[in-house]
Amino acid sequence: MATDPPLLETRGLEKEYSLGGETVRAVAGVSLSVRRGEFVAIMGASGSGKSTFMNMIGALDLPTRGQLLLDGTDLASLSSDALAAIRNRKIGFVFQQFNLLARTSAVDNVATPLIYAGLPAAERRARAAAKLGAMGLGDRMDHTPAKLSGGQQQRVAIARALVTEPLMLLADEPTGALDTATSEEIMKLFGQLNDDGITVVLVTHEPDIAQYAARRILFRDGRVVEDQPVNDRRRAA
Amino acid sequence: MSLRRTLSGGLVNVGIALTALRTNLMRSILTALGVMIGVLAVILATAVGSGAQVSVENTIAQLGSNMALVFPQPDTENGGPSRDTGKLTERDARAIERSVPGVTAIAPQLRASIQLSIPARRISTGGIGVTDGYGTVTNTDVELGRMVTSADVQAAARVIVLGPTVATKLFGDLDPVGQSIRVDKVPFRVVGVLAAKGSSLGTDNDDVALVPISTARQRFATDLKGPDDLAMLFVGFDPAVALEDAKADLVRLLRDRYSVGRGDVQPFTVRTTEEFQEQSATVTGVFQAVLVAIASISLLVGGIGIMNIMLVSVTERTREIGLRMALGARRRDIRNQFLVEAAVLCTIGGMLGLILAVVAARIFERAAEFPAPVGLPVAVGSILFSALIGLAFGGYPAVRASRLSPIEALRSE
Repeated sequence: MATDPPLLETRGLEKEYSLGGETVRAVAGVSLSVRRGEFVAIMGASGSGKSTFMNMIGALDLPTRGQLLLDGTDLASLSSDALAAIRNRKIGFVFQQFNLLARTSAVDNVATPLIYAGLPAAERRARAAAKLGAMGLGDRMDHTPAKLSGGQQQRVAIARALVTEPLMLLADEPTGALDTATSEEIMKLFGQLNDDGITVVLVTHEPDIAQYAARRILFRDGRVVEDQPVNDRRRAA
Repeated sequence: MSLRRTLSGGLVNVGIALTALRTNLMRSILTALGVMIGVLAVILATAVGSGAQVSVENTIAQLGSNMALVFPQPDTENGGPSRDTGKLTERDARAIERSVPGVTAIAPQLRASIQLSIPARRISTGGIGVTDGYGTVTNTDVELGRMVTSADVQAAARVIVLGPTVATKLFGDLDPVGQSIRVDKVPFRVVGVLAAKGSSLGTDNDDVALVPISTARQRFATDLKGPDDLAMLFVGFDPAVALEDAKADLVRLLRDRYSVGRGDVQPFTVRTTEEFQEQSATVTGVFQAVLVAIASISLLVGGIGIMNIMLVSVTERTREIGLRMALGARRRDIRNQFLVEAAVLCTIGGMLGLILAVVAARIFERAAEFPAPVGLPVAVGSILFSALIGLAFGGYPAVRASRLSPIEALRSE
């Protein structure tokens, strides 16, 4: 494993914003790496820079300084189209508010990233249906989000994140809108997916949720202040 | 990017567009209504414009195909205004028939408004005093009975040929031939009924009555002074004759007869059917252009409505745009999505406008007895044009959507 090149590597990563004439350093020099198959929880208070960091590793935002290598590619040098392709093929996003398209069936929601991958309609539907089936939602394919529970909606969103077979799942407070029981269910699902080999990077401010990860990285004032394995890790039963 | 991918992407966008338009159904309908009214106005304007063209062409065709009209008005077209009164006589007509090459027939005329009465009814119509040449020159024939003959002219016979409108007004379905009828209180005998010519430009061509020119001279109240003055002269030419040359010959002859000097205003006017056609084509062309230009303003307003609603749509769906970008949509995917949405909206409006325009044009034709054809090119063109309006007015909102930053968009509520 030690010789395996990291999936994600940052060196002196910085992000500055100008806010009302003042320069704010949201991320102030972060160097870390994430290997394939890891389950990482990024923690920190609001304003710690964890969200800005996540946006950069998610190819949604570009760093001001430093290097950001995803699967060996420096994202800082890419065009907006190339970044869109990285988001499409290599990253699967899961959001706190699920972000499903309203009035659009579960299967069409899951198939949306495949539109941008340029797949024909029949294949899009087949792949989306298969992923929904794997999430245990085979009988809910034509339901719109309004007809699904929060947990079901988040599972549709996870199916959508997985449908392009990405290298990394990037989950931003994925249980923030769910009750405790459903949160546990979703976190166990992430655990299973990680066991199956996918890298999971989880952003959360809840220590309980971070317990499902194998490694915890703590942000404060734009820097990593703690980076260590999770001792009493919670696992899928 | 392959063509197949482009096409499939386009279809996906149509699906997305229809979902989005259904979501705000009332708003979509109202916006499409703007385009619909614009397209309706433009198509109707085009239809009425080309109807005018058709109508004028029919009128000219009914005059006769290769013909010159001579009337006793000073021709001020190439000279200054004239205080002289016009001149045209039967002797001029005979001279033209004799000396101008290519003349096949002449139709000298007197015109007056006349009263026709039978014991039960009284109507007024346009009376024309004609010779036997009238039918040949103007492509006019009878449906019943006979035309005015040279014998009628020689005898100044009190005979009359009725236009179909006049015949129906006076006699209904009865055969008027052989009936007696009073023309300005003098008894005449009906000898024929003209074949119907229909109406053009709102004028009923069948609301006329023909009498021998000699009879008209005796009986009709005209404002002509000389004993053989004419109200009008039609000169028919051989179809092989170039009208421009024929007109030159005719004008030269008349100028000699009236000793018109160089630069003087001639006391008569000559126009050929060719000139009428050109003139009317110009006039109706301008008429149509003005109509369409006015109608286009409503289409422009419709387009602005599209832009307005698309800007609202982009603002409302900022989060969706951010999500799509996170899922891998490139800037151009977002731009195309909103372009297609605007085009779909406009095309729906355009199709509704087209359907309504076809119906309205039919109603207009019936009510106004005026042709208003909606041709296939206009129909197809209007649909394509409405899609184009969608692309033009949807362009700015779509580009604005595509320029959004993914994180800003995702963060919006």
